Amino acid sequence: MAKVHEITVWTRGVTMDKEGRDVINIFAKAAQMDGKHAQAFDNYEDLPDRVLVTVRKYVRLSDEEIEHKYIYHNENPEVVVIVEPTIVKGIDILRGMKKGGTLIINTNRSIDDMLKFIPNADLLATVATVDADGITGVRTVDFSGSEGGVDTSGIGKGVAAPICGAMARVTGWIKKENLAEIVGDVSGMERGYSEVKIKKLG
Amino acid sequence: MAKELPGYGTINVPKDRAVPFGAVTPAPVCTQDLFQTSNWRIVRPVKDDEKCTRCLICYMSCPDACWIYQEEQDLMEWVAGFCKGCQICINECPTGALTAVAELDFPDGVIRLDKPF
Repeated sequence: MAKVHEITVWTRGVTMDKEGRDVINIFAKAAQMDGKHAQAFDNYEDLPDRVLVTVRKYVRLSDEEIEHKYIYHNENPEVVVIVEPTIVKGIDILRGMKKGGTLIINTNRSIDDMLKFIPNADLLATVATVDADGITGVRTVDFSGSEGGVDTSGIGKGVAAPICGAMARVTGWIKKENLAEIVGDVSGMERGYSEVKIKKLG
Repeated sequence: MAKELPGYGTINVPKDRAVPFGAVTPAPVCTQDLFQTSNWRIVRPVKDDEKCTRCLICYMSCPDACWIYQEEQDLMEWVAGFCKGCQICINECPTGALTAVAELDFPDGVIRLDKPF
């Protein structure tokens, strides 16, 4: 079986739940347009209907078909995306990560400022920050996509677009051209792609 | 006092903890460390002791009892471990002694929960 890349997105319930869900859906869709196999899971363990509770979203990418589709939990994430920066204080975001991982944070603070709050930062090979809130400033709130419903407001209209642009540049697993066809806010995605700050560690 | 409940097996309640029907049970006076909610917080209330009149409106409006009046020092004490950053106290404070400050400005208050909530 080919290697399965695992991506975990941390976000907060209700207020940023839709944006976190958009990140995984856009990323998986863009990878599928490239001929890759992808899975995107909304959260089943945490409680995303509680305001500001930390919740997770998952993506898996592979060149071959992914067989373990009934496990909706990324045990060893390679890439961790933080949609709201305060989450680094509240939870061990790098849990299960193997050495050489990547961390992408939506914040306007410096990378060194954020690394102060991550005690197990030696696991990381790359840290990147993107100021998605400064680029778009829109956080779409929509409940209809949870629990198997359908998103009626369209995807990638808020902070998810710049975050996906940053993820495309940092990971290199998806193409910017594919993203531009999916997201609603194309200029925000382009700005996220070009304005992401990347730091290589150790 | 062993009691047989249909379908639930037997539960053993020690005699000193057995409560008669209709009794008023005391509220827990301790904090539940297993239910820390401070990782929900994005902003925290910061108090200005000069402006604070100790009117205790923050104490009454807080849904999680995160404001405690310390009588000896005549100060309000904020409980960091359970404050969810809902900002009700900030909105209710009549003298404007409370302000919302971004949580990432403070190095303290870090908790790392094993479970996400």
